[in-house]
Amino acid sequence: MFETFYPQLIGLCTGALLLTSALMVWRHSLLASIRLLALQGVALAALVAVIGIAEGESELVLVSLLILSVKGVGLPWVLAHQSKASIKQIQESPRLNPTAALLAVTLLTILSYVVVSRVFGLGDSETGHAAPIGLAMVLIGFLLLISRRRARSQLIGFLLLDNGIATIAFLTSGGVPILLEFAVSLDVLLVVLILHVFAGRMRTKFGGTAVDQLRELHD
Amino acid sequence: MTGIGAGLLLQLGLGALAVVTALVAAPSLRSRAGGILSTLIAVTGFVTGLAALLGATGGLLIPIALPMDPLLLAPDRLGGLFMLIVSGVGILVSLYSMSSTRGPDASRTAWVAMPVFLVGMQLVPAATDSVSFLLAWEIMTLGSTVLLLADHASRATVASAGIWYSAMSQLSFFFILAGFAVLAAVSGGTSFANLQAIEPGSWAANVAFVLFLLGFGGKAELVPLHVWVPRVLPEAPSHVSAAMSGAMVKIGVYGGLLVCVRLLPDGPVWWGIAIMLVGGASALYGILQASVSSDLKVLLAYSTTENMGLVFLGLGASMLLRGYDATAAADAALVAALLLAVSHAAFKSTLFLGAGAVIHATGERNLDRLGGLGVRMPVTAAAFGVASLGAAAIPVTSGFVAEWMLLQSLIHGGRLDGAVVSVAASVAMPLAVAVIALTAGLALLTFVKAYGIAFLARPRSTAAANAREVPALMRISLALGALAVLALGLLPGPVAALVATTVSPDPTAAVQSVGLGGVSLPGIGAVLDPIMLVVLSALVAIPVLVAIIVSARRHPHRTVDLPWGGGGSRARPRMQYTATSYAEPLVRVFDDVLKPSRDVQVTHVAESRYLVERVRVEQSLSDVIETRLYRPVLNLFQRYGLVVRHVANGSIHRYLSYSFVALLIVLIVVSL
Repeated sequence: MFETFYPQLIGLCTGALLLTSALMVWRHSLLASIRLLALQGVALAALVAVIGIAEGESELVLVSLLILSVKGVGLPWVLAHQSKASIKQIQESPRLNPTAALLAVTLLTILSYVVVSRVFGLGDSETGHAAPIGLAMVLIGFLLLISRRRARSQLIGFLLLDNGIATIAFLTSGGVPILLEFAVSLDVLLVVLILHVFAGRMRTKFGGTAVDQLRELHD
Repeated sequence: MTGIGAGLLLQLGLGALAVVTALVAAPSLRSRAGGILSTLIAVTGFVTGLAALLGATGGLLIPIALPMDPLLLAPDRLGGLFMLIVSGVGILVSLYSMSSTRGPDASRTAWVAMPVFLVGMQLVPAATDSVSFLLAWEIMTLGSTVLLLADHASRATVASAGIWYSAMSQLSFFFILAGFAVLAAVSGGTSFANLQAIEPGSWAANVAFVLFLLGFGGKAELVPLHVWVPRVLPEAPSHVSAAMSGAMVKIGVYGGLLVCVRLLPDGPVWWGIAIMLVGGASALYGILQASVSSDLKVLLAYSTTENMGLVFLGLGASMLLRGYDATAAADAALVAALLLAVSHAAFKSTLFLGAGAVIHATGERNLDRLGGLGVRMPVTAAAFGVASLGAAAIPVTSGFVAEWMLLQSLIHGGRLDGAVVSVAASVAMPLAVAVIALTAGLALLTFVKAYGIAFLARPRSTAAANAREVPALMRISLALGALAVLALGLLPGPVAALVATTVSPDPTAAVQSVGLGGVSLPGIGAVLDPIMLVVLSALVAIPVLVAIIVSARRHPHRTVDLPWGGGGSRARPRMQYTATSYAEPLVRVFDDVLKPSRDVQVTHVAESRYLVERVRVEQSLSDVIETRLYRPVLNLFQRYGLVVRHVANGSIHRYLSYSFVALLIVLIVVSL
């Protein structure tokens, strides 16, 4: 029963990951991006759980719970930790228009499929076939980093990049040891907390978090 | 561990102690404690260097994990000589700085840098492998840069000097590093013993020679790499300028000797000619700029270029002569070059310390505003006078002996057993003699000006009129320096014989000590005995003196009162010669080289334009090499820098895009 659904489940989860990534590039509102990030965290957790059940590793199920709590709930909550009213107003004015951005996402996804199939080979397993999605997420995260002006939108790009790395890890090698995963998750949480505080300080000091205005060095 | 090793270790330990002391000591104690520890470092270096010079062996081996030969600090005789020179200057400077430093010069940073500078300088000649050599070299450069910048907060010129100095030092370091890299790549090792195995005529040796000449020439202030000198030495605190000019510059000379005498001896003839050309040009250009300068420290700085030029002229002559087997003259020229280095260390550090005393007392270094300091600062004036005699190469001082020996070797070097050794030598030697003759004449003029305008006549400003003699420790240091100048000049024989052991396998064939400390060059057949010279002139002078005194006593004393003062009683300080007016004829003669810019403003009396109310003359001299050679290059770099500013404009997005594009390119390339 489960075996027949397994490829579809993998496809569903990775599809959700790619879709959320593309939507993050498309949407300009910060709140929408944070919600998409939470959705992506849930999809990643589901992906890990599916792999865990398929391979019969209870450890991976634990990891999926951890991912769900950190990436699905914790990080989005930290990012959205502000009155809903003010966060709704935050609109990003990115350097790329939506059409160009979506075109770029398409090209990056194609590139990642080409790269993975040429360099590593797609392999026979379902997870191997889905591996290019991880690379595509990394590249899309990078695209977000360079196209967004605000510090917190860039933070979302950074988290998308991190999700991409995690996706590659789970799809190609069945994940990393739980201790390592735990440490990495905590690290990411810590980085986000620091950057969040930093962005808050920037806003109070300069009245905005538009990164491209921060060009001059001061003693 | 041998005595030398213990001495080196003690220097390192004392250096660390001095750094810690400077960091923790209270400001009131800092100068005293730092000065005492620096003196101890220098004394340890002096003793270690002397032991190495006298032939003691041993050293300090520092094993390292890198795939290179281990670091070995073990000075040979030549290294010992230079260790002696730099630590001798170090003793004078440390004693002096104990009471001369005040304000930013006595800051914590400055006193941390001082022992670092001293230890670095003393370790360079001890190194016997390229890695420890470069390491010590960088420590020395770092220490001197920090010391130079002591006063950067209050004077903008110091910061500019710091940039020039850092850039030129790093350029030197780059060339030296490249030179060692070429040799190490060919020989397969980094120790000097390995590098010595390279054939001097090979392409690698030729490339390395040019790189080394550029690198060490920059440190030794040779033209055209001297541009940092007239900016840095005047702007540094005076004790630091003394250490830089007296000691650090000698490390550049040591580098030159290391390459030409130790690592790649018996190189092709063109090496000698190249060094002679660079040295001769430096000597002439340096003294010409010095003779027309009216800033006391700029004058001394340019004179350093001149002296180093002469040292390299001697070195080049010795290489050229050795190439034609004129060994005796070659040895004499080399010993003369070393003696010049030794005597320059003595007189130039005294001169810079004297200039520091003048600045300490008056706050002025413009000669046009000094004058009359001889009466007000007798000890400083005496020491500066003696050192000026040395710099002008007047008999009974060290400078004279060295230049005499150099001239002897050049005059006699062109011929071997009555036959001309080669066309090159017979053209080069007379030219070199002419260069030295012109240099010596200009040097005399320069130091007559420096001493006469600053210390004699009447004060030209109130600062000079109110000058007071400097504190005791500074006077002691100045007196020690002056004594060294005289001692080296009166007893050249033993000094020259000792110096000869560092470079010649058979020193007694080249130089011998005769009579009362006199010096003899057996290969050339020349003898100089300064003490006998003094006794002889005394024998001539005393009867004349006695006769004058006797005749003066016979006639009754008459008081002479000029009815109108002879013009002298109403002369004002403004009517005296100034440094600028004294050098004016020279500026006219060498107009084409110096390119002075002169501005004369005449203010007429309102009633009649045929009457002049006042005339104002302003003259400024710039360094031709800097404006013609360096400015275009710097402008080019500036333009390039402006272009690059668009590439790296501080935008995070742009930097991230660069890495993103790079990542994409890598991915595309690997998937092709």
